[in-house]
Amino acid sequence: MAPLQKRALYSFVIGLVLTIALTAVLVAQGDIAAFEKDPNLRLIMYAVLIGVPLVYLILVNITLRKPTQVDERDRLIIERSSRAQWLAVIFSLVAWTIALTEIYRDQGQVPIAFLQLIFMSTLIISALAQSFGILVGYWEMNRNG
Amino acid sequence: MGRIENRIRRLRFDHDEMTQEELANRAGCTRQTIIALEQNKYVPSIELAFRIAKAFGVPLEEVFQNEDS
Repeated sequence: MAPLQKRALYSFVIGLVLTIALTAVLVAQGDIAAFEKDPNLRLIMYAVLIGVPLVYLILVNITLRKPTQVDERDRLIIERSSRAQWLAVIFSLVAWTIALTEIYRDQGQVPIAFLQLIFMSTLIISALAQSFGILVGYWEMNRNG
Repeated sequence: MGRIENRIRRLRFDHDEMTQEELANRAGCTRQTIIALEQNKYVPSIELAFRIAKAFGVPLEEVFQNEDS
């Protein structure tokens, strides 16, 4: 297994765990208003919102800098995976837009906590889709060349 | 344009059974790319093709051939 392939697999698993954890926290909180009012949870959320992109950027930079870890074939797979990443992000935003519009149409406003949720879910979906795209890219390349 | 074939596996054995890892290190790519090349599942860039030829110390056309030519 190529180093990048291994990394994508780990990222995919971590992304899934993060998604399940986030969903579990939201379900445990009961509703979105309670989530918004809990200052500790908000602080954790802010830390995650800042921390996750930073760690992601650092890891990507470290990975791409090593020539023995990532070569031209890997870069080609990364480029192809960005298509899956872009599509997944667009579809998740479409889903959020339609769902929130339909649910909160009568109130005429959306709870502010959704801003964080939308950002967090976009971030997770983006990372998950890229990892998935990379894994599929390797699978396709090994199968078809 | 025809299929690009290569003699990497043959050349490795001709060069004291050079390992895929060793060739990858010399050519500046991953072992998985060498494996893909040997299975004809990947066509390298011109740059990588030259680096592989240089690793064997032979001209490019001794490593890669166009099936039609």
